[in-house]
Amino acid sequence: MGRFFYGKLAFDNIRKNSRVYVPYIITSISTVIMYYLMHSMAVNQSLGKMAGAAQVRSMLSFGFAIVGLFSVIFLLYTNSFLIMRRKKEFGLVQVLGMEKKHIARIMIYETAYIAIISVLSGLISGIILSRAMFLLLLKILRFEVKLAFEISSSSIVSVLLLFAGIYLVTLVWNLWQVHLAKPVDLLKGGQVGEREPKAKWLLTLVGLISIGSGYYIALTTESPIAALVFFFVAVMLVMVGTYALFTSGSISFLKLLRKNKRYYYTPNHFTSVSGMIYRMKKNAVGLANICILSTMVLVTISTTVSLYVGIEDVLRTRYPREITISSYGITEAHVVELQRNVSEVLESHEIAPEDTLEYRSLVFLGQEEDGEFLTDIEPSSLFAGNPQSLTLVPGEDYSRMAGEDIALEEAEVLIFSKGGSYKHATLSVLGRTFKVKDRLSRFPVVSHEASITQSHYVIVRDMSVLEELFRAQEQSASEYKSELRHFLGFDLPQDADSATIYRAIRLALSSGEPFSHVESVDAVKDEFYALYGSLFFLGIFLGTLFVMGTVLIIYYKQITEGYEDKGRFEIMQKVGMGLEEVKKSIRSQVVMVFFLPLAAAVIHVAAAFRFISKLLAVFNLTNIALFFWCTLGTALVFALLYALVYAITARVYYRIVTEGQALTQIND
Amino acid sequence: MHFLEVRNVKKVYTTRFGANQVQALTNVSFGVEKGEYVAIMGESGSGKTTLLNILATLDRPTEGEVLLNGKSILNLPHREIAAFRRDNLGFVFQDFNLLDTFSIQDNILLPLVLANVPFSEMERRLKPLARRLGIEQLLGKYPYEVSGGEQQRTAIARALVTRPQLVLADEPTGALDSRSTDSLLRLFRDINEEGQTILMVTHSTKAACFAKRVLFIKDGEIFHQLYKGSLSEEEMYQKISDTMTMIATGGVVCG
Repeated sequence: MGRFFYGKLAFDNIRKNSRVYVPYIITSISTVIMYYLMHSMAVNQSLGKMAGAAQVRSMLSFGFAIVGLFSVIFLLYTNSFLIMRRKKEFGLVQVLGMEKKHIARIMIYETAYIAIISVLSGLISGIILSRAMFLLLLKILRFEVKLAFEISSSSIVSVLLLFAGIYLVTLVWNLWQVHLAKPVDLLKGGQVGEREPKAKWLLTLVGLISIGSGYYIALTTESPIAALVFFFVAVMLVMVGTYALFTSGSISFLKLLRKNKRYYYTPNHFTSVSGMIYRMKKNAVGLANICILSTMVLVTISTTVSLYVGIEDVLRTRYPREITISSYGITEAHVVELQRNVSEVLESHEIAPEDTLEYRSLVFLGQEEDGEFLTDIEPSSLFAGNPQSLTLVPGEDYSRMAGEDIALEEAEVLIFSKGGSYKHATLSVLGRTFKVKDRLSRFPVVSHEASITQSHYVIVRDMSVLEELFRAQEQSASEYKSELRHFLGFDLPQDADSATIYRAIRLALSSGEPFSHVESVDAVKDEFYALYGSLFFLGIFLGTLFVMGTVLIIYYKQITEGYEDKGRFEIMQKVGMGLEEVKKSIRSQVVMVFFLPLAAAVIHVAAAFRFISKLLAVFNLTNIALFFWCTLGTALVFALLYALVYAITARVYYRIVTEGQALTQIND
Repeated sequence: MHFLEVRNVKKVYTTRFGANQVQALTNVSFGVEKGEYVAIMGESGSGKTTLLNILATLDRPTEGEVLLNGKSILNLPHREIAAFRRDNLGFVFQDFNLLDTFSIQDNILLPLVLANVPFSEMERRLKPLARRLGIEQLLGKYPYEVSGGEQQRTAIARALVTRPQLVLADEPTGALDSRSTDSLLRLFRDINEEGQTILMVTHSTKAACFAKRVLFIKDGEIFHQLYKGSLSEEEMYQKISDTMTMIATGGVVCG
């Protein structure tokens, strides 16, 4: 009988506490599903040898590692909350004569039930969903592979190992809590007064400074390279600032509200402001967590979505023409040879190139100081600062591309700048000084590197200037030499077979000296879709995971507060607070608590917007408008979801606060 | 017409499935005049708390009628109940029922805030009341920072700040030590002498002997009543004790 007795007791416990256990089980099932999906996709053989399959696979492996990590965090967090709620119960059953080993036995049953239910239904749902999810992935990646329905046994084993581990840890933790529970604590009750938190001005200051400097970095960083370097610094600063400000700033703010008598002593604000001050200490960390998770959701989803949606833009930025040929270290003879080879191929396929771009150039990477462009800077120190590129183009090439005649003197240049303007009247480089005759507002072709660094396109009189500077550089001390470049790019007619022509050109140029780098958009498109598609997929997946975490924290926070506030609302009703007022007061309090982190998250994202768009430039996405709309869309969807969760939890909270009261029965 | 009139009040509790019925109040009738100080005495389970809850509109009788100033308080529309309670009744509870999220001052002002009274008016009422109750030095503190007696004084201030017609007290000395109990009972007596009507439920003879009239309740019925008249507290104490002994032993009371 004993065995059934404990088992039944465990089952009853879960059922009785369903308000807190159901979300826990749902979380468990969802994490099992997500983990299984990610893992099974990562190990799926059907991806085979598609272009970019390796990238996709490593991305998915990264994904299941993250899902695994967050499963551990979420489940341990939720479990610690559950066990906190039940400490009293443990005390009570001990007073009634149950021994700790009996409680432990019940705990083991409970954990086993939950583990079996979660893992089993998680695995079944995961297996059912995996096919659909895999098809979705393939669609996103534009992979065309025959998909065999497979149940991944290695994924099942991995799920079992991971979650067995997690539940074992929760069980050990819970048993330890049971061990610590003292019946005396129960008798004392939870009504020990808590000291009102002191406003910590120092912490507020620290918070303001770290958020301020984080924002400063985000708002002032010009070069995407620097953005890449400082990204994590800024993120850390803002995170520290968020925690500090939520713990200190919010209390200071609420105290200011309380000092304003006219505001404070009104029915709607009275209970909510004082309740929040009272609770802020405990909740600040929770709110900061929600804020940071929300920010993560917004950033992850908006960036990955815009990269994927903007993939055609990306390709156009990275590859200005369908076929591009770049050659380094050229001479006049090489160019002629190359042109001849390419036109032979095109003629043999009876194809006329469209929108041809062709120019020679000399590119220096360096730093500009007072009108002097320094080229002999160590690359390492260059990237820490604000590197700029200087692209010299002969006047005749520019005239041909832009379709306008320009006449320049020997020492005159035209300048086009991207990512920052050129302010000086003259430009010196390698001992030669040029007069800036005019500044151009556009330039026919901007290479993809230009979106990463601040770039100046300098049009000089003719090729001889480039050659002269090239020689001048040979004599300088710098180890790093730039070479004369030649770029040829053109689009193909709609019906042309891009792949064949690409191969033919490559073959024709393969023996040439110097080496020519031939690229075709079509040839790399698949790889781009594989990379950006799996990023997108991962972004959505992890975004969902973070949303789940956010919802979970919010839900449990509200429930805990509901139980804490129950007594308070009872008292307030006794001294004359109506149910309508209870509802209003809850709304006022919950709204502030809820939307504070969301507002902070939106502000973070807004502050980071410019910064992140610089980072996206590294990924060749320069369409800022697209990123803006994606961010806005993500924020709106997230806010809607958030509002939904708010509505649900406010209802649960209201029910907890008013349940079991004689008052409710009379008043309703 | 009495200021407060309770007529043939009966309360039956039914368990959820209707299997058992418990009669908490059988048939209670009595009246209270304005300015009176009435104690209702009875042992645990005698129905005195049920009675107080009905008077407080926290519960409804199965049968009977309760009139305040000639008007029934039982048929108030449910939206008005909270406001009625706030405007006409003041409560003092055994366990004080102060909110630890509020300072002493804010606890006292709570009913006024709920009634949307302007802050200037709140301040005008708070100062003399706090002085009267001897807690003006504590206004900025929190309930858990002051003694039990001081907490109960705060609760009394909260009950009085709305200038209620009737103060209902449920075992107000139940959680206090003897010294705080004495000073609290004297305070109740003084407040009553200033004109405040008080109705107190207690099982403490000491608490009851300060009242002008004591009603004894047993098995859901008013069993007996005593007027203090010109008796001293000590004499009253003796009379109440005798009555209680008689109730407990089931003896016949003449009087």
